[in-house]
Amino acid sequence: MSGEKVREIATLEKREWGKGEKRISRIMLFFEDLIKIPLFRCQKCGECALSSTAWICSQRCPKRLRNGPCGGTGEGGTCEVYPERKCIWYKIYYRSILLRRLPYLRYMVKVHNWSLEKTSAWLNVFTKRIDPPTLFSKRPKQHDT
Amino acid sequence: MTLREKITMGQFVVTAEMTPPQDADGDIIRRKAVHFHKGVDGVNITDNQTAIVRLSSIAAAKIALEEGLEPIIQMTCRDRNRIAIQSDLLGAAALGIENVLCLTGDHQRFGNHPEARSVFDLDSVQLIAMVQRLTQGYFLSGETIKKPPALFIGGAANPFADPLGFRVIRLAKKIQAGARFIQTQPVYDLDRFQEWMEGVRAQGLNKKTAILAGIMPVKSLKALLHMENEVPGIRIPKSCFTRMENAEDQNEEGVKMAVEMILALREIDGVQGIHLMPMMWESVTPRILDEARLLNR
Repeated sequence: MSGEKVREIATLEKREWGKGEKRISRIMLFFEDLIKIPLFRCQKCGECALSSTAWICSQRCPKRLRNGPCGGTGEGGTCEVYPERKCIWYKIYYRSILLRRLPYLRYMVKVHNWSLEKTSAWLNVFTKRIDPPTLFSKRPKQHDT
Repeated sequence: MTLREKITMGQFVVTAEMTPPQDADGDIIRRKAVHFHKGVDGVNITDNQTAIVRLSSIAAAKIALEEGLEPIIQMTCRDRNRIAIQSDLLGAAALGIENVLCLTGDHQRFGNHPEARSVFDLDSVQLIAMVQRLTQGYFLSGETIKKPPALFIGGAANPFADPLGFRVIRLAKKIQAGARFIQTQPVYDLDRFQEWMEGVRAQGLNKKTAILAGIMPVKSLKALLHMENEVPGIRIPKSCFTRMENAEDQNEEGVKMAVEMILALREIDGVQGIHLMPMMWESVTPRILDEARLLNR
């Protein structure tokens, strides 16, 4: 299928949501929020990449970048849009070093499926709408730091 | 020869940047085009740079094409979602434009419409991957394209923004996604650039893509200070300021600094070209290229 080549880079909607599925998603999202919002300030993108970003939600970036910092990070890691904030990717980088999770940053995070916004990422993993978190996949080889 | 051929053959290339006007006057582009006829292999046409509304990059590129230049359009993720980007790129290819530089885009907060809603549907790495798929004949939806756009894809890198380690990782991602040439932010801090290049060479990235080092000539101390304060992610060493301050003719000194930087960059292993950003000072291009002995290569 021609879609395969594109699936390497994008999460494509595979099938319609069943009526019950939407309800389950809402219930699961409630519990997910209880954990993820206080801990990670989750933005409910529905396509959680926390496990590849050293448990810091990348979606707090004003540009909502998923693959690393833009070119505007200032000296000492200030955000270009809101200089009073720290660049979220700056934090992710140093936390990744600390937790030895730097290799996960080398993978391209797929193009976001915005129709998954405000759905339960956990359910989306089980229904195979999104890739499983790297937590459960094999640790990539650490060729350098 | 086209830019694609020159880069693929490993030649040293020069690209330059042209800013479209803030009005509907196409003649300004025709007038600016004169400065890029000699020694320049590709001309970047910016896409609403710093989020200020300007004449469209693709339209300006078409005019530049008619003037005999080889345009490189810039495509940012700030203003368009995946539908608009793909549509615009099909259009650009149909107009005969062959090169595209994929960028994230400056946040609208810095521009003249800070109230705007930003898009950022994709980020620059994903944009490069998407354009790569377009050239291979697939839309992002997975559907096939009968006549795919033949585009030569480039990306940007900022060796001067922190953290340095991530800059190399991100470059590797862009190359993996399909970037065939990389234009960097303007180099003033040569030491930091060298440090970044070491990381690039260590992973052999310069062999997979063409690194074009950015050069931005400045007219005065004021312009230098303005960049330091207003442009995020730029690094200017103190020595540049003192040099500019003590110069008799700041205009001349700006040209001299740019030329010296080009000559120094040419010596660095892995640098395959220069990307000149004269920022509304396009007329200086032939002079700098001449003095850097890049006019007749």
